[in-house]
Amino acid sequence: MEPDAQLVHDCLQGEGSAWEELVRRHARRVFNICYRFTGNRTEAEDMSQEVFLRIYRTLPSYRPTFGAFPTWLTSVTRNLLVDHYRRTRRDRLTDSMDDVMPQIENKESSARTPDKLALAAELSDQLQQGLARLSPELREAVILRDLQGLDYSEIQTVLQVPEGTVKSRINRGRIELAKVLEDMGLGPN
Amino acid sequence: MNWNCTTTEERLSDYLDGALTPAETAAFKAHSACCRECAKIVAQVGSLVTRMHSLDPVAESPMLVNRILDATIGPRVQKVGWTRWFGWANSLLQPRLAMGLVTVAATILILIYTGGITPSKLKRADFSPVNAFRTANRSVHLTYARSVKYVNDLRVVYEIQSRLQPSNEPSPDATPSSVPNEQQQPKNQSPQEKSQTRPNPGHSQARTVAMLACVVNRGFGTTINALNRSSR
Repeated sequence: MEPDAQLVHDCLQGEGSAWEELVRRHARRVFNICYRFTGNRTEAEDMSQEVFLRIYRTLPSYRPTFGAFPTWLTSVTRNLLVDHYRRTRRDRLTDSMDDVMPQIENKESSARTPDKLALAAELSDQLQQGLARLSPELREAVILRDLQGLDYSEIQTVLQVPEGTVKSRINRGRIELAKVLEDMGLGPN
Repeated sequence: MNWNCTTTEERLSDYLDGALTPAETAAFKAHSACCRECAKIVAQVGSLVTRMHSLDPVAESPMLVNRILDATIGPRVQKVGWTRWFGWANSLLQPRLAMGLVTVAATILILIYTGGITPSKLKRADFSPVNAFRTANRSVHLTYARSVKYVNDLRVVYEIQSRLQPSNEPSPDATPSSVPNEQQQPKNQSPQEKSQTRPNPGHSQARTVAMLACVVNRGFGTTINALNRSSR
């Protein structure tokens, strides 16, 4: 039996420790999807909490036939992120924050990161700025494929779109992201 | 195969993921080699994908898990029974901590045995503060006395060596020019007088052995007296 499936089974039997283990095991994964999508740590943590609340409530409805537990978890995360994006789109348009957000985020992250000179942190920040400029469809496809390492069939399950669309979005997302980073002067070289 | 810039862009991810057929890969590479624009895009996207794959996940706040658990199952139930008191013992199972504890225990054992304490002979009374202080005090004084005796013995040995040095080694005066003077001494000198004027190597060795025996058997004071007597 898959370890996650065993934990889910124990959770449904009312074992709090099994739920605690599930949360500890997957919190980072959920947080990273949320963080890469929203570009804001606080927002990402709020979203992560919301995701696990949803999972906790809907766990009895989970069936292994839906796919592996991590895929189902990613699917729930993605749906909540899309809802959140639609809910907050009006606010963002009103405040014209789309163009300003990357700069603000850059300042916040550079102040928060203790080793801001480290190459990995710098790359992560640059990437976050680039991702913020992609459309949500392309952004989520790139995040799931290149940052979460999901394969095409898993992404197809999560996004509920045909495989051809998945491939097309990943391809367009990568090319656009490379161009955006180059325009921002954050190219590979 | 008719391969153009649009095809290259459309199949770029397939190329990077290794999903092209050998013929498609060859056509892709051939076009990229002769088209500057496509070569630039391929290089940029390839580099970006490699960098994204090498990125580590961003660490969440340490409080996030607790926040989620509080929001779902509420504050955790306090541990009851023996787990309340011995729950920390699970952390001992970690190899690094266990190794550290073993090292500390070994160090303490070595110190105990070096300090002259035999655990099997320990009595209950030895653990009272007064007795422990007395034992520690006695050990310190004994160690001090032993070290003083050792230093004194060393001093005696060096003193013996320094006194014997001139008799074993030729003196600065014992140059070839002094030999005729010795030869000029009267031949009717008694053997006793000879032994006083001319050191006998066999006699000096015997003297050294006697003094070292004194050091071992009688201690410092006796040795000094013997040394003085022999020198007279």
